[in-house]
Amino acid sequence: MMSASTLDEIRKAVAERLNEPSKEGLRLDGVVALRKSSQGVAPHLFQKGDDLSELEIAPKYPLTTLVSKLHKRYPTIKLAIVARGCDERAYIEMAKRNQIDPDRLYIIGFACTAEDAQECYCPEPFPKNLVVGVAPAPGPANPLVAKYDAMPLAERREFWKQQFLKCLKCYGCRNICPECFCEACAMEDMAWVEPGLLAPPFPTFHLIRAMHMASRCVACRECEHACPAHIPLTVLYDLMRRDINDLLGYLPGADIQAKPPLSLSLEQSPLREAR
Amino acid sequence: MGVEGFEPRIVAFMCNWCTYAGADNAGVARLESPANILPIRVMCSGRISPEAVMRAFRAGADGVLVMGCHIGDCHYAAGNHRTIKRMPLLRNLLSYVGVNPERMELVWVSAAEAPRFVQVTKAFTQKIKELGPLSQEVTE
Repeated sequence: MMSASTLDEIRKAVAERLNEPSKEGLRLDGVVALRKSSQGVAPHLFQKGDDLSELEIAPKYPLTTLVSKLHKRYPTIKLAIVARGCDERAYIEMAKRNQIDPDRLYIIGFACTAEDAQECYCPEPFPKNLVVGVAPAPGPANPLVAKYDAMPLAERREFWKQQFLKCLKCYGCRNICPECFCEACAMEDMAWVEPGLLAPPFPTFHLIRAMHMASRCVACRECEHACPAHIPLTVLYDLMRRDINDLLGYLPGADIQAKPPLSLSLEQSPLREAR
Repeated sequence: MGVEGFEPRIVAFMCNWCTYAGADNAGVARLESPANILPIRVMCSGRISPEAVMRAFRAGADGVLVMGCHIGDCHYAAGNHRTIKRMPLLRNLLSYVGVNPERMELVWVSAAEAPRFVQVTKAFTQKIKELGPLSQEVTE
């Protein structure tokens, strides 16, 4: 559980930046955060004078998607976001792909608890722009990753066949993903995914997403939380994160200056020497 | 686990400028290459999306060859640079869900390498024959 004092500190930090815009020369139009609602929490744009006692930070939710929408709709709006480590990583990958304007977003970062980090198998449970809280140790690696990586092909196949058979084709994994923003989605393209099949066709449906996640997945685990069939999707995406780092030395969400390597030439982004 | 009398279906994506011309030259020179190969001509190996490779498998291919110009020879300068980054990732991904990665291969064949085209396609066809049909591995 997040301590009450962390929440108070975040509310205070937001109030300072929102209501005293001269501070740090910000002039913010609003702060994107979660707000209490009758159903739990919901994303909200807090503006000057709003009641910040309604601001919440849990459960986690990918707020960068909302920032992207606001940035596109209001081309001059200046925002801040109350962000966890994964929100900041998501923002970094989105900014590289022109989904968020980094000049118009300020990060009010807070550290996750050690329990959160453990539950999410989080590689970095705190943002670089850490305003509130103390950075906890990274969570452990997902034990399933090593387990399935060591399995023989036939066993892997059996495992994933069972997992993918559960899929309801609800597109929840894609819809919640902060890095899934293509206007035309390959998972809806009849050339690649035949319509009318449930479970959706193997191997195309899930592997298209896994492949697209290779240079994008920031390990926020939202897809897995959203999946009504409890498919352990991030096991595949963690393997892709590992592979692209091995192949090209690229870690999604780490560096806003590093361009996505799959669309660059070998001169711009060379292959790593074989290990 | 080869299957008696099994003739694999192999989809070979070939780039227009190098491999397709190499395959053409093999034909002109009367070099025999396996009839298992189903050529699909694309303008550049960089155009071959992972989705296309997956669709080939889904449509019944037992093996997929992705072929293009050698690095440095790309007609579009750096088209095949994308291929060389993308295909190893896809190969790994297929293996993570239990598809034998040996069923997919990335090979460079230039327009002047007709004998190499024959050798590569023969060796790959032989390998897939030994692996057996994909349906043996992937059933729904």
